[in-house]
Amino acid sequence: MSIRGALDPSVRERLRRDLVAIVGAEAVLAEQADLRVYECDGYTIERSVPSLVVLPGTTDEVARVVRAAAALDVPFVPRGAGTGLSGGCLSDEAPLMICTSRMRRIRAVDVPNRRVVAEAGVVNAAVSRAVRDAGVHYVPDPSSQSACTIGGNVAENSGGPHTLKYGVTTNHVLGIELVLADGEVVALGGESDDLIGYDLTGLVCGSEGTFGIVTAATLRLATVPEGVTTMLAVFETVADATATVSRIIAAGIVPAALEMMDRTIVQAVEAAFHFGFPTDAGAVLIIELDGPAAGLRELAARVEEVCRHGAARSVRTAADEAERAALWKSRKRAFGAVGRLSPNYCTQDGVVPRTRLPEILARIQEAGARHDLRIGNVFHAGDGNIHPIILFDERDRQQTARVLEAGREILRACVELGGSVTGEHGIGVEKIQELGLTFGADDLDFMRRVRAAFDPDGRANPGKIFPTASGCVERRAPRRQAAL
Amino acid sequence: MPTELGDLAARRALAIGGRVPGALAAPASREALAATVRDAAGKGAAIVPLGLGAHRGIGHAPERYDLALSTRALARVVDYVPADMTVTVESGATLAALETVLAAERQWLPLLAPLPAQTTVGGLVAADLSGLLRGGQGRVRDFVIGIAMVTAQGREVRAGGRVVKNVAGYDLMKLMIGSLGTLTIVTEVTMKVVPLPETTRVVALACAERAGGLRLAEHLADLDEVALAVVLMVVPERPEPVLCCVLGGVAADVTITRARILREMREESTSLICDEPADGATAGALLVAARDLARAVPGEVVLRAATLRTRAPALASDLLGALDAASALFDPRVGVLTVAVTTADPAGTIARARAIAAHHQATVTIERWPDALAGTIEVWAPLPPSLPLMRRIKEALDPARTLSPGRFVGRL
Repeated sequence: MSIRGALDPSVRERLRRDLVAIVGAEAVLAEQADLRVYECDGYTIERSVPSLVVLPGTTDEVARVVRAAAALDVPFVPRGAGTGLSGGCLSDEAPLMICTSRMRRIRAVDVPNRRVVAEAGVVNAAVSRAVRDAGVHYVPDPSSQSACTIGGNVAENSGGPHTLKYGVTTNHVLGIELVLADGEVVALGGESDDLIGYDLTGLVCGSEGTFGIVTAATLRLATVPEGVTTMLAVFETVADATATVSRIIAAGIVPAALEMMDRTIVQAVEAAFHFGFPTDAGAVLIIELDGPAAGLRELAARVEEVCRHGAARSVRTAADEAERAALWKSRKRAFGAVGRLSPNYCTQDGVVPRTRLPEILARIQEAGARHDLRIGNVFHAGDGNIHPIILFDERDRQQTARVLEAGREILRACVELGGSVTGEHGIGVEKIQELGLTFGADDLDFMRRVRAAFDPDGRANPGKIFPTASGCVERRAPRRQAAL
Repeated sequence: MPTELGDLAARRALAIGGRVPGALAAPASREALAATVRDAAGKGAAIVPLGLGAHRGIGHAPERYDLALSTRALARVVDYVPADMTVTVESGATLAALETVLAAERQWLPLLAPLPAQTTVGGLVAADLSGLLRGGQGRVRDFVIGIAMVTAQGREVRAGGRVVKNVAGYDLMKLMIGSLGTLTIVTEVTMKVVPLPETTRVVALACAERAGGLRLAEHLADLDEVALAVVLMVVPERPEPVLCCVLGGVAADVTITRARILREMREESTSLICDEPADGATAGALLVAARDLARAVPGEVVLRAATLRTRAPALASDLLGALDAASALFDPRVGVLTVAVTTADPAGTIARARAIAAHHQATVTIERWPDALAGTIEVWAPLPPSLPLMRRIKEALDPARTLSPGRFVGRL
């Protein structure tokens, strides 16, 4: 039985010495003040201070750290930049946190073969930056791309605005270097496009650190499209905007991105970034088309026609790269802008089939009204991937409880409409209960058996995704220290 | 027990590597299929899942082959909402049937996998039948978003769902794609689909000599997203290789890309043999030939070699030079060459191909070989370093070795 929760002081001290011997004293954190920084990720409702944090600099160091932990039967949790939104790197059942943030080397850039090998701690945006002059880029661009790491992206199978046309992280990962829970380093995926054996690369993407620690990934590069057209369509109502999303798809057009912001978010974003959004609009769509330049003009004209037919008040095309960049900055930093509206906010992440967007948005509004909460919406409309942002003040315990309940109601509604409880943020600790809304006991048992093949002793990020033996059904309640 | 023994002729028709199944079954419902598995597993029988059996030659012969279990009676379209661009079908549906359903809504699954009338959706997934459009549009793994499957213990389980973005639970779709029926029996698949291109064009050039064809293929590999496929083919009917470009998209883009191909063909000694929309007679015949190549033609040995894109033209040149190819398909964008060889010495041919491939750091998969070689050849080489982990997954999910025992990589 592995050690859960806080470490026995003698075990902790022994492990600390072992870690110092491997990585040096400056890469081991053991003081409360230092450890507190690592008490949560972007999901701040639950917090837990790790017993020890270690920052290895190489794969070999990670392997030795994991072996040292295994020798003392201490579970570990991997962490990248801590931008995750579901508590995937909460340390409560894993006293040792292994941070990949010092592993920032891009090991190989191979433009002719359209690939790079990046260590886990490389920041997402740095990959495209490293190959910018070659006319290629790494496509997945989550909103947190200036901070989030490749290791975290792989663990969470991160999305972003451009998944509609190009897919999510897993569609762009060709190989993975993984350190298993016993310290063995395995190379998954090959040099060629023809995998031999099971697609373990694909299996590890999105496994949230429960198979081991991703220390490097081989990423696919794509040619930067010849042309890009980014449009802003303004609507009087959310319903008009969501209906237009379905009409664009039905017209046989697959935009690179199709994003929506409602009035609450538009007002916050406008106050923060002064892009020139109409603050009285019900909703806006950001529609990006890319591809060969010749056809773009025609496609843009068609999209504009569909928008106008869908009662768009106005359709504006970004005049140049600067305006386009400003538009995307507004969209990608929308979460930050929300900080102006309330002391705290909670971002939910659910998915519905695209055609059910009008219904889920109505249900979100109802949930807000029922629980007397203000909810804004900024999301990947083309994918049906909603992100209701619930505004609250965590000092109001009663209100915070209503936030959690409203979030659960929204996720239940997603499932009822044929969707999923998470599109890109992961299950983490946040949605362990909700996973049961879409999967039955047999499904979860099968997944646990797959996990056991990688990590028979359950030392790699325990307490995530699945309810564990040590956790009871209501396991979240006692740990909700920060908010409640 | 719902299993019919099947007459000997029917059983022989599903032989693998000379091994004839002891019985056949094609349950009419998913519940019946699960019950059949429970029953067979309870008796210690070995099951090889199949659709119509068109691709059963891929992989090793099974160690034991008590029951050939077909999904062909499970062929319903479960859910299709065109505006959601997703479709859910049972695994026994053929690709041809699926294509018809999607085409009625001007959508498609952009793979162009081989032998669509004989290939089921389950077979597409289990054998990872990457199609003609692999280099331009992606592989099976890029389109499957949900799966239902019967475990080796006879329980139906699910992963993924019906939405295009979903990270709830493990991505078991990836684990099953290409697993050749060694982990579960796929019963239902949900896929992303896309709109049919509004304009299509097939531009094909006969290349006077192979080297020029390979140079042109390498050069045109850089064509943009309008080029759904750029492949160099060797077809039985023609002495010279054919470079085939399949274009699809907005008319203005197709026109520009077509013009570039016609401009660049002048750099090599070529002649234009097709330049028409994909539904034209010549274009249609070429597409079918390219799609089914190396699967439909006779040939004792069919092998697939793959390496990095920059090494691939040299690999293709050496292999095509050394082997007397009855037919071949080279995709310069993914670095994959599939070749069918008619040979009196299959073992020698395979050994020669392996030696050449090793020189170019290529993997080789033998897709077809004569029954006489069963048990003596290694279908996949080189074996991946993660094989021990793969064995642990097989042991965790099918400890009794009920499903396709010995069929897969490393005979696991």
